[in-house]
Amino acid sequence: MKLPSHRNFLRRKLGEEMLLSLVVLAALALVPLFVSSPYWLGVLIVSMYFAMLSVGWNLLAGYAGQFSLAPAAFAMLGGYTTGLLAWHWSVPLAIGLPMSIVVPGLIGLVLGRIVLRLSGPYLALTTLSFAEIARLVVYNSIDFTRGDQGLNVPALVDSRVANYYLFLVALAAATLLVYAMLRAPIGRFLMAIRDDEVGAASRGVNVVRAKTIAFFVSCGICGFAGGLYGTFAQLVSPELGLIAQTGIVIAMVVIGGIGTLVGPLIGAVLVYVASEMLRDVGNVQMIVFALLVIVFARFFREGLWGLARNAFARRAPAASAPPSPAGQA
Amino acid sequence: MLALDLFVNGLIIGLFYALMAVGLTMIFGILKVVNFAHGEFYMIGAYTYTLVSLALGVPPWLALPAAALAGALLGWATERWLMRPLYAGYGSWGLMKDEYAVVVTFGLSLLLINLVDKVIGPYPMRGPSLSEVTRMSLGPFMISGQKLITAIVAIVLLVGLALFIRRSLWGRQVQAVAQNRLGASIAGIDTARASSIVFMASDVLAALAGALLAPVINPSPDVGIFPAVKSYVIVVIGGMGSIPGSIVASLLLGVLESFGAVYLSYDYRDTFGLVLLILVLLLRPQGLLGERVREV
Amino acid sequence: MSALLEVDSVTKRFGGLRAVDGASLHVDEGELLGLIGPNGSGKTTLLNLLSGHMRADAGHVRLDGREVLGLDPARLTRLGVLRMFQLTRVFARVSAFDNLVVCGLALGLDERRASMRAIELLEELQLAHVMHLDAGQLSGGQKKLLEFGMCFMVPPRLALLDEPFAAVHPVMKETMAAFIRRRNTGGQTFVLVSHDMPVVVELCPRAVCMNAGKVLAEGPTQQVLRDPSVIEAYLGEHAADEVDHA
Repeated sequence: MKLPSHRNFLRRKLGEEMLLSLVVLAALALVPLFVSSPYWLGVLIVSMYFAMLSVGWNLLAGYAGQFSLAPAAFAMLGGYTTGLLAWHWSVPLAIGLPMSIVVPGLIGLVLGRIVLRLSGPYLALTTLSFAEIARLVVYNSIDFTRGDQGLNVPALVDSRVANYYLFLVALAAATLLVYAMLRAPIGRFLMAIRDDEVGAASRGVNVVRAKTIAFFVSCGICGFAGGLYGTFAQLVSPELGLIAQTGIVIAMVVIGGIGTLVGPLIGAVLVYVASEMLRDVGNVQMIVFALLVIVFARFFREGLWGLARNAFARRAPAASAPPSPAGQA
Repeated sequence: MLALDLFVNGLIIGLFYALMAVGLTMIFGILKVVNFAHGEFYMIGAYTYTLVSLALGVPPWLALPAAALAGALLGWATERWLMRPLYAGYGSWGLMKDEYAVVVTFGLSLLLINLVDKVIGPYPMRGPSLSEVTRMSLGPFMISGQKLITAIVAIVLLVGLALFIRRSLWGRQVQAVAQNRLGASIAGIDTARASSIVFMASDVLAALAGALLAPVINPSPDVGIFPAVKSYVIVVIGGMGSIPGSIVASLLLGVLESFGAVYLSYDYRDTFGLVLLILVLLLRPQGLLGERVREV
Repeated sequence: MSALLEVDSVTKRFGGLRAVDGASLHVDEGELLGLIGPNGSGKTTLLNLLSGHMRADAGHVRLDGREVLGLDPARLTRLGVLRMFQLTRVFARVSAFDNLVVCGLALGLDERRASMRAIELLEELQLAHVMHLDAGQLSGGQKKLLEFGMCFMVPPRLALLDEPFAAVHPVMKETMAAFIRRRNTGGQTFVLVSHDMPVVVELCPRAVCMNAGKVLAEGPTQQVLRDPSVIEAYLGEHAADEVDHA
């Protein structure tokens, strides 16, 4: 029997979003051919750093419904994992970088277990406290981490362009990983948990296992972003883990479109690049940015991606019709 | 003697924490969400007080009400335009109201910090003191005039709030809405106005806390982040939605930090509260005096 | 032959109130048992105890002879006890199709089987024309039908239906009733909690009536409905006499 398919069916929707994500990534891949200014390449590298954080956080908050306020803290932990291993024990990056996935991932797993029974504001506050504690510990352990002087991290590659493609590959890998997860049964379990946790458990979903996995992967991605950033900037500091940084990530995802695959990508890149461009226009980028977040949260929950999709749907009305039994819509 | 000084000092710090925390817990009680822009109302109060007295030459005593007014206006505007969707049903976040509140108040926090940073400047300002007496003895311990005055004002405000909630008509309506919004609206209570009152009261208290501390803390745009985090800790420990709980927890935290900074570790004095928050959420999520959160 | 489900002197207290007070009943394999009683009689609480959403204070619950009291809902679901809620629960932000698929996946079906079963169920429940809509966009009755369908992605050992017909369009009601009848004929065991007497009479050969947490009467449905204590429970004291004279 041939199964009907529809744009709104999850796996198909994910497929379309992944395709668009690949288009965005491909566009990013072509940029260095036209832009040679190290400054702007650097801007894009940082926006890809934020994009990775956004992808990781969106998995946890947008798809699994766990609104953690700790993604920046995990990036900081990832950066410091790589940095401390190199600084104290001369561990090469070949091991130090993968550790920036594993260590934050495991810490995230523990955090996930801690907040298992919490939701809403309680979850937010616990993760916020955790993030602040982490930052304060790193800040105050001056003998170990050099505190707010920052920690030097060896570079992985030399040229800016090489760093650019390194980040791009990492971002693509993170996006593909999230895509694969969401396509698999666990992806649907997470979305069920997001929509109705009690209902999901009542339907047989192993909520503990699903949430734990989500935390591990999300925090691992954030950690890796931090580790990579360390090798790029050749420095990590506790400021990576400031709550304000988490605020930026949240804002990027909301503006791009929370709970979608491509939202975090376009949100991060557009917002960061736009804010850099606005920097020349009287330094108002943060104000504009904050206003956008409020406006989007209040009126356009679907974000930029949602707006774009709706505009497209209006021009192709057949896409919203129910599926015909024998084929696709 | 040191212990008594630390104790009294801790209590006074606790009073300020209470001014911040009480408003936050009220908002939670009535809207069931956390206001992540709370610290910024404190900051606005500090700036209003400082600017009004410095730039307009207004005597400090009059600058206090100005700060309160700023807090009230901001609170009213926030509730009216950003928070209404939480219960009025419209707005595109119908299904994820907790998340909406987090995002929107985070955004508001960013906006306020950066507006002040841009319009007024990022450098700390210094507000005039209410009293020039730096040290006076009060029984067995020493205290500065400023601290004493502000402590008294804080007590008056807290007592005033308690009386308002307990005795006044509006206060009792607020209690009703906090307990059961739907039931209260069926009984004819204007729930929107109750929410508005709570938001305004909360911001007035936070703004006054900022104004009272302005001479001490030298306000800068991000001065509110720190007290905000403290407030979250207190609200959880005291029990979300419980005013007496917040007051008790505030005083406890103030004293704990005061002693902990001296006897345990000065550097990590801020982590005590955070660790306590996590422990409380895990072991006794309803806090000291809060209500049990129902499951299913 | 021992029963599929044995409920043995189960009690659940809320403070001073005994919502369920030493209730005992049994459900045989393949039967369609009606559970009736006035509001507040403890029917939904009993269902909560059976599905694991609440923990009983005393008593035993045995499924296929095995003690299941105290297991959490996910475990019980995987053991085959599926339940419908009084306040409809669906996953609002995924399509109706995906709602069903996720239930199938949670119970161990693979992707293809789950998708096929989902389509079959959607057609059987006459929801195929809305299968692409997000569940949150469906009408109240459609949501209820969907939630109903979510219980049957994998044939359950025991289907607990809590007021499935409440506030449902008569056409949908008939769809659900026909579905229940069909499955029951095929051997599916049901416990049906309902206020809709005509439906209970029509579908359930046997009924249990509860009041104030206790089991009042049990037996063939018509007999239970004529039991004076049952009539009294519904209509109040002395009503039994009046009904007799009517």
